[in-house]
Amino acid sequence: MAFVDYYQILGLDKNADDKAIKNAYRKLARKYHPDLNPNDKEAQKKFQELNEANEVLSDPEKRKKYDKYGKDWQHSEEFERARQARSQAAGGQEGQWFGGGNEGFSDFFESMFGSGFGGGRQARFRGQDYQAEIHLGLRDAYETHKQTLTVNGKNIRITVPAGVENGQTIKIPGHGGPGSNGGPNGDLYITFSVSTDEKFRRSGNDLHLKADLDLYTAVLGGELVVETLSGKVKLPVKPETQNGSVVRLKGKGFPVYKQEGQFGDLYVTFDVKIPTNLTDRQKELFTELSKS
Amino acid sequence: MENDQLIAIEVFCTSYNVEYAFVESLQEHDLIETVVLDNTRFLQIPQLTQIERIIRLHHELDINLEGIEAIQGLLNRIEHLDREVAVLRNRLRFYEPGL
Repeated sequence: MAFVDYYQILGLDKNADDKAIKNAYRKLARKYHPDLNPNDKEAQKKFQELNEANEVLSDPEKRKKYDKYGKDWQHSEEFERARQARSQAAGGQEGQWFGGGNEGFSDFFESMFGSGFGGGRQARFRGQDYQAEIHLGLRDAYETHKQTLTVNGKNIRITVPAGVENGQTIKIPGHGGPGSNGGPNGDLYITFSVSTDEKFRRSGNDLHLKADLDLYTAVLGGELVVETLSGKVKLPVKPETQNGSVVRLKGKGFPVYKQEGQFGDLYVTFDVKIPTNLTDRQKELFTELSKS
Repeated sequence: MENDQLIAIEVFCTSYNVEYAFVESLQEHDLIETVVLDNTRFLQIPQLTQIERIIRLHHELDINLEGIEAIQGLLNRIEHLDREVAVLRNRLRFYEPGL
């Protein structure tokens, strides 16, 4: 467990008075507050450190103890006894600032001052917001399905709506950390990471697929069976279909998020395959064809 | 707006421990919208996250409402840009599936 230099965190020297501590905290908190730095984990961590430093240095009793034993906390029996007594008094309550996004104070802080805040604060604390990530294959995101995830030791069963996008975040209200003093629970934010697929490429709600087409069908026309995410379909091929030409299969693309029954389109690009290992007779026929 | 999506401002003020005048001032600064039904003023529940953020900025960081108004504008722009980055990143993945 590393020693935490609270003065350094707030950019202060050891003789800083209360006003200087308050000003330094305010200034840095405005810079790193999670509400001003959405989705910035570094800023959240920094804000947490600032809160911890302020919690200690703005409280005369804690500051005195920190100044006295801070660096030598491991060797202080007196400190250890006080810590134990405090820990019992705190009753194991864990609080989170209304500001949220905190992951608890450092091990150093908890060893020295216990896990409770102390100081008789009566403000309501909103529970911390939790962040989670769900990894899905493209085909998993095609259908609405239930998924169970474990967040902070608790199993939460959620419905993953069809059509979620890679990087999309949804909020599950009230499934974050518990509030205290009657404060509301935090929220759970789930970000989906949707992997790419070997066959299908997604562009919004549309899908793209490359389909091999033999030369003869491309020239003479016919039918081709292609795979879609909802099953195989028979696709008519016009005579003289060019390599790289694209056909659109309406409604065979990806489901539109939260718009039941609506789908994007599937674009099939024909990849005309030139026959290989031709027999002499076939070569003869092609030569004849080339002269016609 | 459905009635179950509304919370009376008095109820909100009690549970969030804020003054009624504070909520009124938020409305004056166009930071929130309120709804009046049967002479009672309500907040829209979907706005609560935003209102909680305003309260935090005001109380924890001592930022006045003019400052919060500016911050809200910038945060909305960040949110819009984040969404745009996500869309562009997904479009880029279409051409470079390994991304």
